[in-house]
Amino acid sequence: MKESTRMLLHYATGLGILVVGGVHIFTVFLTGPYVQNLAFASVIMVYRNILLAVTLELLLIFVDYHALNGIRIILIEFHQGTNWERGVSWVLSVAGVLFLIYGTRTILIANALA
Amino acid sequence: MLREHRLKVVLMTAGLTQELRRALFGWFYPVHYNLERWAYALQRISGIAVTAYFLAHIVETGNVVGGLSVWSVPSVDFASAIWTATFHFLENPLFDTGLIVIGFMLSYHTINGIRLTLAEFGLLQGKPSRPDFPYEPKSFSKAQRAIFWLSVLFATATAVYALNVFFGV
Repeated sequence: MKESTRMLLHYATGLGILVVGGVHIFTVFLTGPYVQNLAFASVIMVYRNILLAVTLELLLIFVDYHALNGIRIILIEFHQGTNWERGVSWVLSVAGVLFLIYGTRTILIANALA
Repeated sequence: MLREHRLKVVLMTAGLTQELRRALFGWFYPVHYNLERWAYALQRISGIAVTAYFLAHIVETGNVVGGLSVWSVPSVDFASAIWTATFHFLENPLFDTGLIVIGFMLSYHTINGIRLTLAEFGLLQGKPSRPDFPYEPKSFSKAQRAIFWLSVLFATATAVYALNVFFGV
């Protein structure tokens, strides 16, 4: 992927996080007392709501890309070179896919939990 | 041949460590630079902090269904017990203080990120002109300065809000 495309995606996911992250913060902090909202039954209710579950999945994808691309930018600013830049991209891509799999597993199972 | 190769590796890592050290010092010590440079340093530091939180948060929320080893739908009692234990483990002043810091970082990163996005697409750029004392960066326009201070204000407000939520202050 071209560097400019990666950066465009960085800004796009940033704006995406502004929206779905806002929804996430709203459901946790502004719909009732914080401790009550994080009780098991309330949390499962969020995952079982298909719209909120989709929001969480989108948030996961956006933050996963935005965070790891940010780390990539920082690392290639530290040091330059084809091998370094390729290595950083590969390692972070694999890490990103693993986080995505684990997070998606949580969302899918929590959504199916009776 | 092997020795030569080893020497090369040693030299490369030595160069890398030196670069990393210089880069890190450059960030955490932006004292001799202007405000735009402070905004940049804080954006990077807050980005790393929020990334660390994101990773911890994925692991933490994974416990809603019972943790790392669960890959099929578990019993509700099992998941509930693991989640309640996780929640009680995380409910202490140390983690609450951490969340206050993360709240500050997240709010700063959000609002300053909006400024950077606007700047990236050519909005709110200062007009180029002759550099004069005190050599303030022309790119960092008044509007951008306003958004920067707004991000600091918003971040502080978030920290105060979090202080209220977690410690009832």
